[in-house]
Amino acid sequence: MTKSLVAAAAIGLLFGMAKLPFEHSLEQEDRAAFFHGAKLSLGLRDQVGQLGFLAALSGFRSLVADFLWIEAHTAWEGTQWARMALLFNNVTTLQPRVLMFWDMAAWHMAYNASVAAFNDRRQPRKALRLRAQREYFELGKDFLVRGIENNPDRYLLYERLGIVERDKFGDHFAAATRFGQAAAIPGAPAYDKRFTAYELSHCPGHEREAYERLLALYRMGKQEWLPTLLERLGYLQAKLNVPEAQRVYIPPIRPGQKP
Amino acid sequence: MMDTPPASTLPPRTPHKLFSPARIWAIASNTLLELVRLKVFYFLLLFALLIIGSSAFMLDFKFQEQFQVLKDMSLGSMSIFTWLLSVLATSMLLPKEIEDRTLYTILAKPVPRLEYLMGKLLGILVLLLISILLMSALFVVALYIKQQQVLADAVQGVPPEQVQAVIRGVKASSFTVSLIPCIVVIYIKSALLASFTLLVSTFATSSIFTVIVSFVVYFIGHVQGIARESLLSSPHTTALSKIFLAFVALLFPDLRLLSLTDDVVAGNAISSTIFLKTAGLGVSYFCVYSLMAYLIFAFKEL
Amino acid sequence: MNDKILEGEASGPAISIRHLTKVFPIPFRRERVVAVKDLSLDVLPGQVYGLLGPNGSGKSTAMKIVLGLVTPSAGQTQIFGRDSSDVESREDVGFLPENPYFYKYLTGEETLRFYGKICGLSGSKLRAKIAELLKLVGLEDARDRRLGGYSKGMLQRIGLAQALIQDPRLLVLDEPTAGVDPAGSREIRDLILDFKSRGITVLLCSHLLGQVQEICDRIGILSRGVLVREGRLDDLVAIENQTELILENAPPPLIGEIKALVEGSGARLVEARKPHTTLEQLFLEVTASGKETNERPHERRKE
Repeated sequence: MTKSLVAAAAIGLLFGMAKLPFEHSLEQEDRAAFFHGAKLSLGLRDQVGQLGFLAALSGFRSLVADFLWIEAHTAWEGTQWARMALLFNNVTTLQPRVLMFWDMAAWHMAYNASVAAFNDRRQPRKALRLRAQREYFELGKDFLVRGIENNPDRYLLYERLGIVERDKFGDHFAAATRFGQAAAIPGAPAYDKRFTAYELSHCPGHEREAYERLLALYRMGKQEWLPTLLERLGYLQAKLNVPEAQRVYIPPIRPGQKP
Repeated sequence: MMDTPPASTLPPRTPHKLFSPARIWAIASNTLLELVRLKVFYFLLLFALLIIGSSAFMLDFKFQEQFQVLKDMSLGSMSIFTWLLSVLATSMLLPKEIEDRTLYTILAKPVPRLEYLMGKLLGILVLLLISILLMSALFVVALYIKQQQVLADAVQGVPPEQVQAVIRGVKASSFTVSLIPCIVVIYIKSALLASFTLLVSTFATSSIFTVIVSFVVYFIGHVQGIARESLLSSPHTTALSKIFLAFVALLFPDLRLLSLTDDVVAGNAISSTIFLKTAGLGVSYFCVYSLMAYLIFAFKEL
Repeated sequence: MNDKILEGEASGPAISIRHLTKVFPIPFRRERVVAVKDLSLDVLPGQVYGLLGPNGSGKSTAMKIVLGLVTPSAGQTQIFGRDSSDVESREDVGFLPENPYFYKYLTGEETLRFYGKICGLSGSKLRAKIAELLKLVGLEDARDRRLGGYSKGMLQRIGLAQALIQDPRLLVLDEPTAGVDPAGSREIRDLILDFKSRGITVLLCSHLLGQVQEICDRIGILSRGVLVREGRLDDLVAIENQTELILENAPPPLIGEIKALVEGSGARLVEARKPHTTLEQLFLEVTASGKETNERPHERRKE
């Protein structure tokens, strides 16, 4: 009986050694397809803690994430912003590949919590309220940045980050970069390309590049001749002193405006 | 009288078959019958079916991705239920037969121990298959009901020329073809856990011990990946921790790799390479654990 | 000895045990348990062999080794010339373990069908065999009843039936009458004698020595793993220097004459009394007929 135990153990060990490289390569392949979320750049101990938490849930992960998500919405109804942030953190850890979690978490932080913080009458000093508002902007941005780390193959979060950079931080260059990243991903909507160009057109020193982009888009046809594009094109044509003969778009003269 | 007698020249009445699928199937169907009578099977199955069934109707949040919760709950239930069933049912197979002495009556017949074990395993595999098929059928029904609800809402106020596109969009996010490899991998994982539990039960002294060991391995199997990656990449770990990491990496299965659920629900497409590799890994674990179980059982003193 | 036993000797023993030793190591301790020590014996075809011994004497171990369930530390066991470790050897053997449970949710018929299938039987042949065996063991009426509802005696009988499903030439029975009431016990013993008359060899392990005495041809007594006595039952239990005469309708004067003869010859008359029937006999007669009288039991003797 002992002999057979030893034989079985030997087989187990040999198989263990054989399977290691195979598991490793399968893991690499999974990562390339962005399964299981981004590799955590944490030390071993932290990884064990983090993934130990995940392992303890094992098959329950998605169920727990869903229930925590619902709890987060209950917290929203009670405007418990800090609790929401905590819950969102847990949900996105459990399900890093579900875009909606990152998106909504960022939205709640950057658009709802920030407004609440700014209008918080319990804080009489405006400077502190502005600072709190800014912190929520950063929180929202952080969710999107981490979401992108885990989902670099999908355009949505790049796009959302572009909008946050544009609307909340006023950083047109950062916004342009993000819209550009979104546009580079297959399947991205057509407007991402336009947004890249728009944002770039607001960046000092990048007018020429923006103009080239807008021109290329204009040349693609009528579906691109949207009001904002035409307006920006007209603006850049004037700014760059493009010769009349080369101007593709002549803005209409508004009443009271000098030609 | 005490000298070596001449060997018998009379052949046995029934000719002995070296390998008989009929024998294996007789044992398998008996095992299946026995397991289907287990109360724990009914409770677990009922619970799983309840969850899957009700997920079609509950949680009607407009802001949710419509099918996500349903898929999460259904696939999650399938995964958990088959895990629990495979461990609990397999853990009592051998101990019960030894205690009831029915094992002796079977092995005293011309049944090779290999066929006996194969029959037992086959019985469990059929049980798991039936359970998964039942749950999948209910899942499909629930998904269909949900799809109809979503379609009814989605086409309201949509201009006629876009209706088809909307319908296609909804249908594409409800039934994705990736659900099939996902469920297949759930089945293979449960088969792996069954074969591992059988292995432990061949040398364990009680069913409780078997169950505990299997549960522990299940949990550790979900973090085995870090141990392995750490072992293979980090240069700075000490010799002692390297030994410990090697221990975990070599002996435990990487169960995290054997799950496609999260990615299927998140909308990832599963390439056939990844599916075949994942399935192949699971199947080879199953074969090795079964082989180890046979080696130990074949020489076990009964 | 009857013809069948003689015929058996010519074709080789049913069970052959040679220098069998089995040692069980105790885990985590240096001592070992010697369950069987250098056991050698033969069971010839057609015999009913009783393997006796107190608890822990090694008879169960020896039996399991013969059946291939346990491997010997030394020595060899064979069934009809085939080594016990060979699966094929078990084509010839039917086994009834001590206190078997079988599968409670199966009916009598389903139980036999299961065992028949694992022996390779199927179809009409199996159906016929099941019907035959149920009739043989007297369980036809209970064929569709679940084993959970069987009495102990019925369980033993269905156990005997499953042991016979593949027509083995050898039966190994471990305590076949333990826990069974006297009526059931008598039926089982009658069955065993019936098997013997068909030429089936029987190896029997039992504590119930009175019952063993009635049916065994040969016995072996094990004590602490060692065979301390072996041989024909009649030879072993006969009290060599005594003779038993049983007279019917003998008048008292005749008894007196016989007494005188005995004393004159130098022999000693040990005892002159009315022979007793057994308590078992009385019990069976009284419970079978349902009589409530003080009628003296008929005297019945072993043929």
